[in-house]
This record gives sequence, C-alpha cells and structure tokens, in this order.
Amino acid sequence: MRAPSTLSTPMARFADALLSVDLPALPVAPRRQTVSFIDERVQTMPSVPRFGVKAIGVGVDVLSRLFGVDRVISLVTKLPIPLLAEYPRLIRSLAFAYIWETWPATQTDGAQ
Amino acid sequence: MTATNEWTATNECEVLIIGSGAGGATTAAILAEAGHDVLIIEEGPWVDQGEVVPFSLEQMDRQYRSGGVTVALGIPSIAYTEGRCAGGGTEVNSGLYRRPPEQAIARWQRDYAIDDFDAGDLLSICEEVEEQLTVQTVPGEHTRASEILRDGAAALGWQHDESPRWMSYPEGGRAVDGQRQSMTRTYLPRAFAAGARMLTEHRLDRLVMSGGAATSAQLSATATGVDQPTTITFKSVFVCGGAIQTPAILQRAGLRHRVGRTLAVHPTVKLAARFDENVNTPDDVPVFQVKEFAPGISFGGSASHPGLVALSLTDNWREFGAAVTAWPELAIYYAAITSQGRGWVQAIPGVRDPIVTYRLTKRDRALLGQGLARLALLMLEAGADEVYPSFKHAPLVRNRADLAKMTAAFAATRASVMTVHLCSTAPMGENHKRTATNSFGKVHGASNVWVNDAALLPDAPGVNPQASVMAIAIRNARRFADERAG
Repeated sequence: MRAPSTLSTPMARFADALLSVDLPALPVAPRRQTVSFIDERVQTMPSVPRFGVKAIGVGVDVLSRLFGVDRVISLVTKLPIPLLAEYPRLIRSLAFAYIWETWPATQTDGAQ
Repeated sequence: MTATNEWTATNECEVLIIGSGAGGATTAAILAEAGHDVLIIEEGPWVDQGEVVPFSLEQMDRQYRSGGVTVALGIPSIAYTEGRCAGGGTEVNSGLYRRPPEQAIARWQRDYAIDDFDAGDLLSICEEVEEQLTVQTVPGEHTRASEILRDGAAALGWQHDESPRWMSYPEGGRAVDGQRQSMTRTYLPRAFAAGARMLTEHRLDRLVMSGGAATSAQLSATATGVDQPTTITFKSVFVCGGAIQTPAILQRAGLRHRVGRTLAVHPTVKLAARFDENVNTPDDVPVFQVKEFAPGISFGGSASHPGLVALSLTDNWREFGAAVTAWPELAIYYAAITSQGRGWVQAIPGVRDPIVTYRLTKRDRALLGQGLARLALLMLEAGADEVYPSFKHAPLVRNRADLAKMTAAFAATRASVMTVHLCSTAPMGENHKRTATNSFGKVHGASNVWVNDAALLPDAPGVNPQASVMAIAIRNARRFADERAG
C-alpha cells in the first residue's frame, strides 16, 4: 500500500484541500494516500510540464495562505485561464482515476 | 530470451538500435537475420504479457513514459501516451490493426518524393506482418461495449466494420480470450534467435558525432539502484524511439534539418455512455469502428476501467459524478479526427525531456465538436440512457434535444483532448524542403544514422499507424541489408 502523504509540498496541500471539497466523505487515510499518488506522478512528469505544474503549485499555495484555500479553490476551478485551469484538472484527473481504480466501490461523495 | 538490464557484453556492435517498439523490433529482426551484429537498447523494462492488468495504473507505472502523464502544450493541451518498455507501444496499446490506406501511400510518395515507395510492395509486407502477428478478427463473442458501436452505427445506416487485432485466440474464442502478439512475443524473439542482443533499462543520453558520422552512444542505467554509465561504439545506428524521443535524440546530436517540426497526431475527444445493463469490460477495448465520416472523423471504443470512467466524468463532476457508482453500466468511446494542425518537439540543452507542443487548427476544433456530437447521437441510437461528454460545462445528453445543447456548448478549449497516435517528426523522402531523412530513413547530414519508426510517416495516416510503421521499417531495414550484401 502507498504511504500517505505528509502534505509537505505545495501541490500536496492543494490536492488535499481540493479532494476535501470534491469528495467530502472520503476518509483521511485514502485521501492522503491519493495525494501521495498524485505527488509521485507529478514527480515523473517530463521536465518542462513538471516545472510548470510546480511553479503554479507554489503560486497557488501562496495565494491560499493569503486568501484562504477555499476561496482559491473556487477561483482556480472556475476561471478559464489557460494553464492555471489545467492545474486543478490535472489533480482531479489523477485523483479520481486512482481512487476508483483502487477502491471501485467508492461513492460519489467519497464515502467508502 | 537474451534481453538483460545488466551490461555484461562487449561495448561495441555493428548496428545499434535505439528503441524496441514496432520500428525497432522489426528492424532488429530483419538485420539480425541478414547476418548483422545487432544490439538493441531499450529505456524501459522487459515486462512479460500477463504480468500487469491491461490499461491499469500499474501498467502505466511500469510500461508508460512518465506514468502516462505526458502532454503536448497548446490551447487546448493534448494529453498523449508513449510506451516505455521492451516492445514499446505494442505492449500497451489496443492491438487494433489497419493497413496503411493506399490514398495515404500515394499522397506521401507524391508530396514528399519518396523513391521506390510502391503501395503493392508495402501491402505485401503488411501481409507478412499479418501472418507474423496472427492479425485476425474476433472468432467468437464480442464484448457488449463493442456491439454497442456496431448496433448504433447500423441503426443510423453508417459505415462500420470490425478492426482486426494482432491477437491469437483459441478456436471460437471470445474477444476477452485474445492474447496480444506484441513485439516481445514476435519480432524480438525472432531477432534474438538470429543473434541480436538487447539491453533494457538503459537510456540513451547522447549520440556522439564526428565529421557527419555518429561514433558512439552514451547510455545511463534507468533501473533503480543501478548507476553504470556506458559507452557503446558501432558502425551504424537506427533511432527508433518513437515520434517524441527520436527527434529529441537527433536534435541533441546536432541533426536538426526538418527534425521535430511537423508532429502529426490523431486528436480525440471522449464521452461515457450509460446503458440499462452491464456493458463495461475493464481490461479490453471495443473492436468495432465507425468509418462513415472517415478519414476526417472516426469513432471507436476506449478502455473503461472504473478509474478511467471516473476520469471521463471529472470535467463536470458535480453534475456527472453520481454516475461513477454505476460504472459497470458505463463504457467510454472516442471520436478521432485527422488533424491539419502540427506540433513541435524540441530538445532543450540540459533538460532531460523535450518540450512538445501542438496547435489545432480552426477546422480541427470544429471537427472535434462535430465528431463528439455524432458519437453522442450514435450512443443514443444504440440505446444509451445517458451520455456524459468530456468537456467542461457539457450538458447531460438524454435525447436529441440535448444534443443541440451539447453542440452549442462545445469548445475544443474546454475539452479533454488526447491522442495515442504520434508521428511525422522526421519525415522521409527526397524533397529536402519537407524531409529529415532520405527515402529509406537515412538522416540528412549524417552518414550512418537512420530513423526507422513512426517519426518517418509524412503525416498521420487517418488509421491506427502501427501497420504503416512496421511495413515501412521492414522495407527500410531490407534496403539497408541489401545494400551491404550487394
């Protein structure tokens, strides 16, 4: 089993918060395990996109600390800004694929 | 099997082949059987068929480059996948087989001035390939997800057929009983039997050039815990790393003429369709394809693991997410287009991976919308209760009235566009203004460097390109062997 994330990276913190909103009933342990999977996948991305994702992650993390993560999640998931809008999309894609492949009986709200 | 990830042999060979996919494996078999001393270098591991579940995340971890998370940047960006294992993409793709269309062969010959490029000769090679890979249709029962495509097309009176696959089946076997006849089961064992050697889990860092000739290859180990830089010398080298890695390798070696400037792909958009019965077969893909609007638009089915079903719903999770719990009743389908856009592959000094970009044309974007709308219509005709298009702000489609709303809402920039067919980054031919190699894959400006993979195709053929790649690679390898024999 994959070790749970310690939320030590900007992207892990944002992913954890985003999944808390999207899948509020997903227990903490599988959520952190999913975040760990996302972190690993981003680490294996080709160099340039990986750098871009990490740069956006740092920017979003700073904004989250300044204005609150909930407001930032609402902003980046709604604004159709190229590249920025791809950030939550990438995280959701990796997360949902992992969750439903690992635990196919997961409910829509994340309940298991 | 004579593949190893530990370097124990001599560090020289006559012919070095970089990559072991559809181009590299066939090249290795032809040249080894012609008596050449062949060494194949493969960046990924050797994974036997059956070791991992097809289309699973574990397979992506072990056999795809970057775990399958690779993207051509653009508006929209296009997700793509590359195999990174012994056998390359043939180990992980859907196994569907289409001969190169004769129209495409004629167009390539004419527009790129390819010498001795006869459709009859290529199709004759295709017959050999088909025998080697036991290309055939499903002898027995199809999956329900596959029948849906056939039934929907038939209801609309649209042209459709079953794509053969490189599979072996027991007598009367069902679709799910097929065993993939990929390169690790066919051309690589042939190459080994003829004396070829293979070094897996080693990445080519650089081809060293001197006076217009490649003199050696610098490799590094990719397996965890192994750190053994290696230099290999050779007389000739075939670069068969696929349409993304091949141009990057050439550019790093200083070979840049028309290299990486004309990436061509078949962009696809997807939807999930829900029926009132279980239609999902997680580890197989539908074999029926709809060709009514080909070559511009084609329809087919995708892998539909529960994870992939969830992925297909993420663009509108709040509206569509509830469907994920019914994943056995859902299957994923795609509309693929023949794009007029082109992309770039550019190696960057000091950076391991190339940057990849792709620009869809206005016509491409419109075609993607048309394709998705027609695919949704087909699903309704096939009896779908609900259709979930994969683009942001897409409406749920339950009837023809909803189709109009979907068409109005579609924008390619909101869609999850992806592709698995990449080619044309080192096109072949004698028209130097358009090509990176000569008519047989020899790179312009180099005396002993050949390309022999999907990068050679002048454009995307409008069908699954593996047969085209294999036929051209075999043709070119035979030419190389004949020239040295005679």
